[in-house]
Amino acid sequence: MSVKRARPMRKPVSRTPVWVAPAAIVAAIAIVIAGFLVVRWYTTPLPPPLPTADATQQVVAEITSLPQSEFDTIGQGAANNLIKPVAGSLLTGPTGKPEVLYVGAEYCPYCAAERWPLIIALGRFGTFSGLQATTSSSTDVYPNTPTFTFRGATYTSQYIDFRAVETKDRNQSPLQSPTAAEEQLVNRYDTSNSIPFVDFANRYAFAGAMYSPDLLGGGTWQSIARDVQNPDAAQAKAIVGSANLITAAICKTTQDQPAAVCSGAAIQSLEQKL
Amino acid sequence: MSRVQVAAVAAAVAGVVVSIYLTVLHYAGSPAACPVSGPVNCELVLTSPYAIVAATSIPTSVAGILWFALSALLWTRRVGWTQVAWSAIGMVVVLYLVFIEIVKLGAICLWCTVAHVLVLLIFLIAVTVGGRRQSAY
Repeated sequence: MSVKRARPMRKPVSRTPVWVAPAAIVAAIAIVIAGFLVVRWYTTPLPPPLPTADATQQVVAEITSLPQSEFDTIGQGAANNLIKPVAGSLLTGPTGKPEVLYVGAEYCPYCAAERWPLIIALGRFGTFSGLQATTSSSTDVYPNTPTFTFRGATYTSQYIDFRAVETKDRNQSPLQSPTAAEEQLVNRYDTSNSIPFVDFANRYAFAGAMYSPDLLGGGTWQSIARDVQNPDAAQAKAIVGSANLITAAICKTTQDQPAAVCSGAAIQSLEQKL
Repeated sequence: MSRVQVAAVAAAVAGVVVSIYLTVLHYAGSPAACPVSGPVNCELVLTSPYAIVAATSIPTSVAGILWFALSALLWTRRVGWTQVAWSAIGMVVVLYLVFIEIVKLGAICLWCTVAHVLVLLIFLIAVTVGGRRQSAY
């Protein structure tokens, strides 16, 4: 008599559902990206409180009265020389003097960085009034970089004319428009379409910032002004070095006038490099 | 080729196309068809120093062309750990690039994100299919 033996039960194989691995990977990546956002949030400087009008004028006065010895000591410093010679008919301003044309925007962090050396350099040839403190955009790279705006400011000089166009405010709303002639200059000399764009009387021009706006991150106008007055500070080497390059380009357009500014050893040396 | 392989090859070919587009933009100096303000800003990302392979003048998108092209080639062969390892390398690079976009630049490039999603897709296919086939042998 044959006994029908029960078929041994096969141990069920536990198999992970096919969706588990991809789902786990997507979840892990989402966590990593969330971590990046947290790091970004923690490392983004908050907008520093804007100084009062008096405090702003005090800062401008401090950075536009640096001693000659500091300019000579720093020379080019840590600035990246972006200035290139350009060929065009001499650009003159409303008073017939060589014109320095600036095209930038208030939201732009590179413009924010470059206004510091521009103000220092232009302050050696004339006088600003009505400069207001502001910061670059909160949502762009190098957010909330402390700076000034040229909007509403006036500049007088017996050597040069200065024309500034801030095309957008810090929220990227339209602000000022360049004239058709200025637009042509930008298209001609600023082939990378970058801002800030600065034209020195159609003799020299540059686009971009000569140092990283990162250097100003987390600072206030007052702390940056203090750093600018210390030739050993990284900010001074970058900002005053950039100001010297800008000064050298301006001196080239003013036939080295005024001599008190243009005959300095550092400026003469930088003029040779342009 | 299985349907999954066809999907992976299609993703890789799409990645090649996107990378070629970004490379052409780089050399032509033209802006990408993409917003240029706020958190989505292709221009900011593509003109940043990180858009270039370190210590060269080669745009990162060229590396993307090579990676996607080799991926397409690999997926026409028998599926196994090779595809998993290659796509894992791609995924690590993508995470590094996303780190740069979010933490360093504070801006996202839409076209780069399309390429990143394609890498992720290929990686998920590789892990799901490649790892499973290999363990069945």
